[in-house]
Amino acid sequence: MTAMLSAAAAIPRLRLVTRPAARLPSARSNWLRPLSSATHVTPPAAAAGAGSLEPPDLHRLANAARISLTLQEVEEFEPKIRQVIDLFGQLQAVDLESIEPSLRAGTATGSSLREDKPETFVNRDAIVEAIPSYDDPYIKVPRVLNKE
Amino acid sequence: MPPPLQAHRLLISHRRLPTPARRRLTAVSSLQSAPATTLAPGPATSSILSIRESLLSGERTAANITSDYLSRLRRTEPSLRSFIHVADAAAEREAEELDRRIASGEKDAVGPLAGVLVGVKDNLCTKNMPSTGGSRILDGYRPAYDATAVRRLREAGAIVVGKTNLDEFGMGSTTEGSAFQVTTNPWDDSRVPGGSSGGSASAVSARQCVVSLGSDTGGSVRQPASFCGVVGLKPTYGRVSRFGLMAYASSLDVVGCFGSSVFDTATILSVVAGHDKMDSTSSSQDVPDYTSELVSLDLLESKPLNGLRIGIIQETLGEGVDTGVVSSIKGAASYLEQLGSVVDEVSLPSFSLGLPAYYILASSEASSNLSRYDGIRYGRQVSANDLNEIYGESRANGLGHEVKMRILMGTYALSAGYYDAYYKRAQQVRTLVKESFKDALEKYDILISPAAPSAAYKIGEKINDPLAMYAGDIMTVNVNLAGLPALVVPCGFVEGGPVGLPVGLQMIGSPFSEGSLLRVGHIFEQTLQNFSFVPPLLAER
Repeated sequence: MTAMLSAAAAIPRLRLVTRPAARLPSARSNWLRPLSSATHVTPPAAAAGAGSLEPPDLHRLANAARISLTLQEVEEFEPKIRQVIDLFGQLQAVDLESIEPSLRAGTATGSSLREDKPETFVNRDAIVEAIPSYDDPYIKVPRVLNKE
Repeated sequence: MPPPLQAHRLLISHRRLPTPARRRLTAVSSLQSAPATTLAPGPATSSILSIRESLLSGERTAANITSDYLSRLRRTEPSLRSFIHVADAAAEREAEELDRRIASGEKDAVGPLAGVLVGVKDNLCTKNMPSTGGSRILDGYRPAYDATAVRRLREAGAIVVGKTNLDEFGMGSTTEGSAFQVTTNPWDDSRVPGGSSGGSASAVSARQCVVSLGSDTGGSVRQPASFCGVVGLKPTYGRVSRFGLMAYASSLDVVGCFGSSVFDTATILSVVAGHDKMDSTSSSQDVPDYTSELVSLDLLESKPLNGLRIGIIQETLGEGVDTGVVSSIKGAASYLEQLGSVVDEVSLPSFSLGLPAYYILASSEASSNLSRYDGIRYGRQVSANDLNEIYGESRANGLGHEVKMRILMGTYALSAGYYDAYYKRAQQVRTLVKESFKDALEKYDILISPAAPSAAYKIGEKINDPLAMYAGDIMTVNVNLAGLPALVVPCGFVEGGPVGLPVGLQMIGSPFSEGSLLRVGHIFEQTLQNFSFVPPLLAER
C-alpha cells in the first residue's frame, strides 16, 4: 500500500471527467434505466445470472465516488474488485421471490426522534479549527466550474 | 482425536472451586517467566473490582495503578503497537486528580470506573484527542466532542489512556489496513491481532489497559477477541449509542467492548448502554445492571447451567474451518454439557449467503458514509483548481487502498439499474438470515460457534487476497445482519506461536439478551480450570 503523496505530480492521475448524466452506449442503455420505471421488473440480465451484469467501469465509478485514481490503481483494483463483484453475484442464483427486504435489523426500538428544538453547540471553536481552509465566516473552496 | 496440545488442556474437572482469592493487580506484573501453560491456572477475576477495592481501602493510589499500567504499556508498545495515540500525561494528571478527591474525602470520588484505564478505538471521537479512524484523511483531526460511549465512561471515572489502532474506518480483519502501523498479536508478534479492532484487543490482552472500546460491523470485536484471547462483546444493534462512532455501515455498526474477564466486560456495557437522543437508532430498552447476575463461584450450584438449551451451528464446523478450532469449540460444548446444559447441532439455512449480502450492504453504506471525507470541513485537503478536483485529490491522497476499493464496490452496487440486483437482494437475504436466527432462537436459548475459522494467521498472509480475508468473516457477519448480541470468551488453544494460539467461543442470543450471554460466559470462564489466557509477552522482563 503506497502512500499517495500530493506533491508527486509526476504520477499521472485520471482527470475527473464530468460526463452528461447517464449517457451510455445504446447497447447498455435499457439496462441502466433509472429505477423508478423498473420497480417490479428484474432487468433481463439479472434474471439470466451474474455473468450478464455489466462489469464495473472503474473510470465511471471513480468519477461518481469523487476519487482520482492513478492508472496503476485502476490496474491493481480492477481484478480484485471483479472478484468481489463475483462474490456479490452469488445472490443472483437465489430464489428471493416474495421475500421482503429488511432495511435494518429491526432491533432498535423506542421513539426515535428528539424534540425539534435548536440547541447551541458549545464547542464551535473546535469545529472551526478543524476546517482546512477557513476565512471567517466562510469555508473557502475554489470556484465551482460549470462544465458543458 | 484432538491434537496433543488440546488434549492436555482438556483436563477439565467440574468440581467447584473455593472462592478464588481476589487477584491483586500486582500479580499481573509479577508473573513468572514461563509459558502460559505452566502459569498458575485459574479464571480471570475482575480487574475493575480489584482497582476499586484498592482505591477504597487506600491500599493503592490511582497514580500508582496508572503508572503500573503505563510502564507496562511503554515496555510492550515497541513490539505491539496497539496505540496510535497515547495520552500518558493526561492519564497521569487525571489519576492525580482522582487521588486528590479521594484524599479530601469527596463522597462520589470513586465512581464505578474510577481509576480504570480504558483504550478507545480510534474511530470513536474523543474530545481534544486525535481521532484518525486509522486514516490519513483525518490525520491531525481533533473532534469537538466525545462519542457518547466515551463520555459515559469518563463520567463513571474511567481514564482514557489512548486511541487504539484499527483497520482504516473499520474496514478489515487484521489491522494491517491502518494507515499508520500494524499491530501485532501479543501471543506471537509475527501474527495479526485480528481486526478491525485489533489495537483494542491486543491492548487488553497485553494488559496495557484494563478494558477497551471497539466497534463491530461484521465481526470486528469478536474476531480479534478470539485471536487475542480476551473477552469481546458485540451488543444488540441499538443497545449502545453510535453517536461519535465514525460511521462505516450504519445499519450494521455497533460499539462493543473488550475485557480480560466477563465481569469487566459486563461492567463496561452497563456504563455505556442506553438510549441516546443523539442517536435515533438507539434503543429505549431499559439497561439492567449486567453484573448483578454474575455471582462468585461458591454460590454456583453443581450444574449451574441446568436447563439451558444450546444450539451449536452446524455450518460453522465443517469444511474450511481449522480442525484445531473445531476441537476447541466441541470441547467447549461438552464442557457446557457438564455444566448442565443440553447441546444440539442446529442448521441455519441461508448461512452462507450472509457473506455476499454483508459485503454488498456494508460497501454500499460505506460508499455513502465516507463521502463526507472530502477535505472541506475537516481532515487533510489537497489544494486544487476546482471543487471536484479538491474532492478527487483529497480523497485519493487521504484514503487507503481497501477503503477506496470498498467505496468503488459500493458505488457500483448502488448505481442506477444495479440496486435491484445487489442492494435490494442483499436486504432480502438479511430478512432470511433474521428469520433463520429467530427460528433457531425459539428452540435454543443461545447458539454457539467459533468466532473465526482459524486462530491468528501471519502478518501479510491475506493482504493481497481480499476474498480470502473476507471469507474469514463468515462466522460473524450473519450476527450483524440480524442485529443480535454476541459474546466471545476464550475457550482453548491451537498449535502455533511460542505457546499456542487462543481460540474464542462465540455465543449468540436473541435481541437484548446480553444479560443471559454474560451470565453463561461468566460461569463458563469462572469454572474453567487449567486455562490461563495471559500472553507470554507479559512474563518477559
